[in-house]
Amino acid sequence: MLYREAGQFKTTYAADQQLFPIRQDRIGVITLLLIAFIGVPLFASEYWFSAILIPFLIFFLAALGLNILTGYAGQLSLGSAAFMAVGAYAAYNFQLRIEGIPILISFLCGGLTAAAVGILFGLPSLRIKGFYLAVATLAAQFFIVWCLTKFPWLSNNSSSGVISTQQLIIFGHELKTPTEKYLLVLSIVVVLALAAKNLVRSSTGRAWMAVRDMDVAASVIGIRLMPTKLLAFAISSFYCGVAGALYAFCYLGSVEPDGFSLDMSFKILFMIIIGGVGSIMGSFLGAAFILLLPILLDVLLPFFAGLFGLPFSSATVSHIQILIFGALIMFFLIVEPHGLARLWQITKEKLRLWPFPH
Amino acid sequence: MSKKIGDVILDLQNISLRFGGVKALTDISFDVREHEIRSIIGPNGAGKSSMLNVINGVYHPQDGKIFWHGQERRKMEPHMAAQQNIARTFQNIALFKGMSVLDNIMTGRITKMKSNFIEHALWFGRAKNEELEHRRKVEEVIDFLEIQHIRKTPVGRLPYGLQKRVELGRALAAEPSMLLLDEPMAGMNVEEKQDMCRFILDVNDQFGTTIVLIEHDMGVVMDISDRVVVLDYGKKIGDGLPDDVKNNEDVIRAYLGAGH
Amino acid sequence: MNFFFEVLIGGLLSGVMYALVALGFVMIYKASGVFNFAQGAMVYLAALSVVGCMEKGAPLWLAVILAFAIMTLFGIATEKFVLRKLVNQPPIALFMATIGLAFFIEGLAPMIFGSEPRALDVGIVDEPIEYILENFNMVISRFDLVAALVASVLVATLALFFQYTRIGRALRAVADDHQAALSIGIPLQNIWAIVWGVAGFVALVAGMMWGARNGVQFALTFTALKALPVLILGGFTSVPGAIVGGLIIGASEKLAEIYIPPVMQNLFGGNFGGIEGWFPYVLALLFLLVRPEGLFGEKHIDRV
Repeated sequence: MLYREAGQFKTTYAADQQLFPIRQDRIGVITLLLIAFIGVPLFASEYWFSAILIPFLIFFLAALGLNILTGYAGQLSLGSAAFMAVGAYAAYNFQLRIEGIPILISFLCGGLTAAAVGILFGLPSLRIKGFYLAVATLAAQFFIVWCLTKFPWLSNNSSSGVISTQQLIIFGHELKTPTEKYLLVLSIVVVLALAAKNLVRSSTGRAWMAVRDMDVAASVIGIRLMPTKLLAFAISSFYCGVAGALYAFCYLGSVEPDGFSLDMSFKILFMIIIGGVGSIMGSFLGAAFILLLPILLDVLLPFFAGLFGLPFSSATVSHIQILIFGALIMFFLIVEPHGLARLWQITKEKLRLWPFPH
Repeated sequence: MSKKIGDVILDLQNISLRFGGVKALTDISFDVREHEIRSIIGPNGAGKSSMLNVINGVYHPQDGKIFWHGQERRKMEPHMAAQQNIARTFQNIALFKGMSVLDNIMTGRITKMKSNFIEHALWFGRAKNEELEHRRKVEEVIDFLEIQHIRKTPVGRLPYGLQKRVELGRALAAEPSMLLLDEPMAGMNVEEKQDMCRFILDVNDQFGTTIVLIEHDMGVVMDISDRVVVLDYGKKIGDGLPDDVKNNEDVIRAYLGAGH
Repeated sequence: MNFFFEVLIGGLLSGVMYALVALGFVMIYKASGVFNFAQGAMVYLAALSVVGCMEKGAPLWLAVILAFAIMTLFGIATEKFVLRKLVNQPPIALFMATIGLAFFIEGLAPMIFGSEPRALDVGIVDEPIEYILENFNMVISRFDLVAALVASVLVATLALFFQYTRIGRALRAVADDHQAALSIGIPLQNIWAIVWGVAGFVALVAGMMWGARNGVQFALTFTALKALPVLILGGFTSVPGAIVGGLIIGASEKLAEIYIPPVMQNLFGGNFGGIEGWFPYVLALLFLLVRPEGLFGEKHIDRV
């Protein structure tokens, strides 16, 4: 009875094309934002900020980037982490080499650099599709990480490419506490998420989806495949790049190229498969799921082991984690290919009818 | 009939198309006049769809010339056909399965949108206005095809007949001057066929759209076409008014399959 | 010049190993259109099964038979519980499912057999062949040569199997057109089970070779990643392509590793080792731009 659109008549197309056409959704989103901006900083502990909320927001952003490319434009990528690395290192170098450049501009430039690199590695997509393209993005993954390790200039001559990020100064104020960093990350992520939502409901997004669903028909309609695909690569890499910069500056503070490994790329891919391919909500839910699951397992597994008196090493726990990730991926692909986002949608549809069954 | 058939707008001369060793089309010439309904018929594998693909630039013939409004067309890509106001539907429905009916038809207007992705991301100014303005046009198409009730349904969930109609809608949304229809009535029941015929005739009549039609239902073809071209094994075996074609011996032989 | 040939031959021989893994991919791709990312994980599982069984006291021959049984069972289970449920899904979904499968195996295998790196002794020593060392002054590993021989025998057997047996013909029919194969009475699912069994066997051979050479450890799973560029070069559907692609990748990455870093060092300073980590991919990528269907693959025409 609470979640129902009956009675909300749209009298203009403008009203029908709002960001969130259903009133309850609007209220829900605003409430969530209020909680995130005001409620959480009041109550969350430092551990929550630095170990859970900040990485969650950053990976949400990266998953969003990958989802734009894979979920909306239909181009599979196994190199998201490498584009995050580009963003992180580029932002670091802009801070380092340009006197007095504001940190936010550095993040922006980091994203733009990643976008440029993304376009470069997206070029093969004009001739190849599917898993062939996956191999091309693997090339990006290995090549970029190698470059960052081997060219000392990129890491200001530090050994093995480790960089320690500069201070976060915004309008003369240095962000030190996890709460401040959290608010910065949150603001950036919210802005970019809204922009993504706008993109996918506009003709840019429709062009991506058209190319994804049937590229020949798309080109016959007048969509030019090359710019459309490359734009998807650019924007996706931009999101990943900004996520990478935030990962370095606001989460870890010090990163090395090998940290942006193939495993991390897979992790981001898993987020969108489990969360929902082609859904912004899906990126959100997927990131939360993939980040929280290991924490949950860390707590639960030893508990159950203790219950049954089994010896449990930490290695076993990590193996079980990998195994469960793999099993979940297969499970979701088989049972619910649209992921958690689809389950969320079904729940909403049920709510719409509740308490009547039909 | 009140409509006036105009000059030749599309002229195909000696078109030949090969895939490796397979000859799909051999030395085919025919033309299309403005405002007419021009049908291409022929048995399965005659090269009808290939012909449409040549017209809108999906396939590139090895030999032959194509004149569009009197000008020779050189190498051309499919999206250029769209810019020249040629729209089409496909034999096997080629809708964008993951999108709603409304979004599918909106994509039909994509060449007419000028705003760029930054404006889209900010949803500001031109992007927003364009979205509204084109929505209005799309709603006209939706009204015309009588599919208001399924506006927001994902096309994957629609029955076959309605999908075909949505595909026509997507093509119409581009306000094409020439419309290529590849078996728009295949697999439909009589009622659905009647609806589709009505839409095709209305489009031709109201908007003056030139139509190139591939269809197997001879009753329909002979009824609504102005001129018919017949293909068999990639060669042209007949061309002319429906009645002439109907009595053409080669055509009868091709359809009845009596000796070669 | 001797040194060049030494590197080249070493590269070619290690290329044979890549080809061995790539073969498993080609088998499954040909028969079911699935790009099996888990092939590398299967290699790891196979090698672990062998050493695991030997640790429990089984002699080598018994361990190999047991490992083969495990691989076959595993292949059939994969077909039955995962792939069969995903029939008619887009290929990319199947591909992602095999990534999931790879993780599943990578978690499961060490839980059963332990994760610490172990040596696998198959009775061949990894040392230079004296004859070649004395007469040509080149270091060519005996082990690599044996591995190459094994691979050749395996490839020949598979080729014969495909060409002349009933199952082989059925396999090719299935690869050509699932529907048509079904309609003439070829039991599709049995065929897929067999293919996964054969792929498991190929993984076993590859696992033993790689395991004996580099030790049985988690890094074995990376062999799959190296096999990808091999496939792109050779074409996804071609057995000879896998071999030739493997040889090219093996030889070129070793040559690149030896000859490119000094040049880079002269230009930029610093240490530029590790080129072989990405070289095959970039090579494959450049190759893709020229010939997307691979050396031996079939050209694909989009039908509208």
